[in-house]
Amino acid sequence: MRNASDWKALLRFLGVILMAEGGLMGLCVVPAIHFADGTLWHIVACSAATLSVGGGLYYAFRNELEIKDRRMSYLLVTVLWLTLSAFATLPFLATGSTRSLTAAWFEAMSGVTSCGATVFADVASLPASVLLWRSMTQWFGGFGVVLLVLALTPRLGINKYSLYTAEASGADNTGKTSVRTTVTVRRTLAVYLSLTVVFIILLMLSGMQMWDAVNLTFTNISSGGFSVNSDSIASLTHTQQYLLAGAMLLSGVNFTLLFMLVTLRWRQIRHKVDQLTFYLIICALASAFVVLALHYHSGYCWSDALRLGTVQTLSALTTTGSVVGDYTQWWTPVVFLLLMLGICGGMAGSTSGGLKVMRVLILWRNARGILRKRLHPNAVDPVRLNGRPVSGHIINNVLVIFMVFGATLMFGVMMLMLSGVNATEAIGASVGCLTGYGPGLGASGGFGCYAHFTASALWVCSLLMLLGRLECMTVIILFLHRFWHR
Amino acid sequence: MAAAMVAPLAASLYYRDGAQYALLLAAVSMAAVGLLLRNLVGRHATYELHERESFWLTSMVWILVPLGGALPYLFTGSLGSFTDAAFESYSGFTTTGASVIPDPTAIPQGILLWRAITQWMGGLGLILFVVAILKRLNRGALQLYSAEFSGTQQRKLHPHISTSVSRMWRIYALITGVLIVLLIAAGNGVLDSVCLALSTVSTGGFMTTPLGMSGYSHLTLAILTLFMFLSGVNVALLYNLFTLRWRQLRATHEFWVYAAVFLLAAGSCAIAFGMAGNPWDYSLAYSLFHIASTISTCGFYTDPPAAWPLWASVATFLLILSGAMAGSTGGGLKLRRLMTLFLYLRNYLTRMLHPHVVFSVKIDHKVVAGEYVNKIFGFVFLYICFIIGGAFVLTLSGSGIADAFCMAAANMSNLGPSPLINSLGASLDYALLPDAAKWTLMALMLAGRLEIFALLAIVSPSYWRLRR
Repeated sequence: MRNASDWKALLRFLGVILMAEGGLMGLCVVPAIHFADGTLWHIVACSAATLSVGGGLYYAFRNELEIKDRRMSYLLVTVLWLTLSAFATLPFLATGSTRSLTAAWFEAMSGVTSCGATVFADVASLPASVLLWRSMTQWFGGFGVVLLVLALTPRLGINKYSLYTAEASGADNTGKTSVRTTVTVRRTLAVYLSLTVVFIILLMLSGMQMWDAVNLTFTNISSGGFSVNSDSIASLTHTQQYLLAGAMLLSGVNFTLLFMLVTLRWRQIRHKVDQLTFYLIICALASAFVVLALHYHSGYCWSDALRLGTVQTLSALTTTGSVVGDYTQWWTPVVFLLLMLGICGGMAGSTSGGLKVMRVLILWRNARGILRKRLHPNAVDPVRLNGRPVSGHIINNVLVIFMVFGATLMFGVMMLMLSGVNATEAIGASVGCLTGYGPGLGASGGFGCYAHFTASALWVCSLLMLLGRLECMTVIILFLHRFWHR
Repeated sequence: MAAAMVAPLAASLYYRDGAQYALLLAAVSMAAVGLLLRNLVGRHATYELHERESFWLTSMVWILVPLGGALPYLFTGSLGSFTDAAFESYSGFTTTGASVIPDPTAIPQGILLWRAITQWMGGLGLILFVVAILKRLNRGALQLYSAEFSGTQQRKLHPHISTSVSRMWRIYALITGVLIVLLIAAGNGVLDSVCLALSTVSTGGFMTTPLGMSGYSHLTLAILTLFMFLSGVNVALLYNLFTLRWRQLRATHEFWVYAAVFLLAAGSCAIAFGMAGNPWDYSLAYSLFHIASTISTCGFYTDPPAAWPLWASVATFLLILSGAMAGSTGGGLKLRRLMTLFLYLRNYLTRMLHPHVVFSVKIDHKVVAGEYVNKIFGFVFLYICFIIGGAFVLTLSGSGIADAFCMAAANMSNLGPSPLINSLGASLDYALLPDAAKWTLMALMLAGRLEIFALLAIVSPSYWRLRR
């Protein structure tokens, strides 16, 4: 790590990202002007500060083009999210939405990791510009700023592939639509942008104001879950709720797969058909259970049970965290199931968090394989995915991530309890933050918020969000002695 | 009629395990249970089971024997319902120690002894039964089996399995005997001492008073603490110690990890209790007792301190999952597995930095093959799935999420009662649970005791295809 040019390249990269962030922040002046909420100059100042820091870094290190050291790209990803989050706190602090740095940091981290946990009890009272900023952090965070920037990478010259694997350290290296990462990223971005536009239009067609439509699309397509209303999406019309459920469903699907579907490349779908099937099966089974439970156990009428059940199930599985009904009051097994769905998460390569469907599938098939191996010790029966054997290296990869994910979850519960949160809420918050679902159990679940958490508990939650978004390993590796010393 | 079918099966199964084992158990259980069961056992003892698949055998023994073991509770009327009796019996045979008897002093003493004996048999069975089965498998399968069973490869005590078995059971009996004598010497009643000793050595945890261990002298508790710690040690290692092979002790890294975890947990809990305002001497004594009981998954408890700090709950929960050494009578994931996982993880992280480095996981200076690491991972995954699934079913029958998790984990690890569950505000009293929850917990105990695979193997379709 003594190579100065790598550090400079890292700072240069941060500069570029910060300029992008500052630019997006600048867009928040539009609602500030339109709704005249008196935050115009605050936003302009924040944006200018971010832009100038970013520009300064970029200018100072403009000649350092390439990060050569693999370790540096791990470091870069973590530092990147921390920096983004740090600058994302500015609008909250500058407009006086909150006075506490902890709360602002929590909210910003929840945004850029597209988690959706909030410390604001009454979001409707926030200035419009801040509301848009929250949605926007989720929108670009959910997609992965790294991917956003990678679309522009030909000029940045970072070692693209290692960066890509650092962020999406999943097993899914087979799923590139094209050999060139850049093309993949551009296609993904195209899908993401068009989905956003389509859903904004659809929501407006269903009678929603443009303001709500933009915000809700941003937060739901990114599987984030912030809302501009205090009751999340509960007060929308039924059509609008189903539309958002559709957005969530798509946000849990691998974007490469979506691209293939949209462009009618049916043949290439077979590379991911197992994950897709499994994802849809989980959606269907879980929704069916929740709907039946709501109808027969909690006594909702069929139409309400269907709506609440499907929307909330999708919200949990894709780790969006939009709340359509106060699920904390539902039957305990339903709540439990929702938590487990959050841990399962959507497909790899989507904006959702959690373990990802594909990993769960591999874990399951691996366990089944071990069982079979015991019965038929000499059989050769590799774990297969989409009809192809999965290499042992990838299986171990998945197993390690599962273990680390589980350990982190327990670590989170433990730290939250030590910071004075009761057991149920600690479990809920730990799952909510680590998977990116957002709301947890008890007072911090349902329509509630994290405002009553102690400062230390909020910091723990922020850390969990970061770990969850970067899939643990990328962050944990920084604590390895060998990372810093050869 | 059902009784007549189950009891002889149980009896004949005992006889297959080896004569001493069977005779001893038969004799003691007959004395304890009374004339009725004795008649049944005597009459049907000639029914021998034939050679069968080992998985089938293992699982059926563990499913049917406890059902037979439930009879004494029903016959003597100690427990009214079949579910309760089965729960008590499963809890005994799996050395869990969760009890639905509200007041152990009110039931016949024979039943108390029977309860303790079921645990002792369970604890012994875990070690011996599997080894006995190994005799029937060919050599390759044997290695596979033993490796999976106890986490990773371990040295056998003796090249001949029958010798290993007899050594193990002798050391087990010896420890029990010593503990009984010590407890009597410490001023406890004979029956009490025997029951407690059987519960301790098998890491079961049935207690003979409704108040847990509160009424006993400090000396008794100190003796129990020591023996609970010992019962978490690999039995083979204990034998080596007994025969003064100290080098084995030094070479077994797992033992040192075990001791370190124990001392660290007990020390930190003592500090936590002390800081929470309890007297320091009491804090230390209580922590040692409580942690020994938890890590060995024994499940004894005494009066918890007035102030129960959070750290104690957290440490307790972690220890419930980890358990003690592989090859001991305790439950849980076993430290050896966790050590393997930890070492693998460390290698993995290094490989992220240097993709071409080749590493291997070494325990006791021996390389653990990648295949075993994968098996351990698979095991841990299933273990967690069982806890989650069990907790889900428990919520269906009305538990809160946090209690459901603690109960599922405690029973999966064969711990049984723990002040942890109390500290969450739920009731420690398993008797109050609905029947469905009791059956769920029984399934978890069994899965935990059989380390999942044997149980899953017989319900898997491919097993039955193989037989056909």
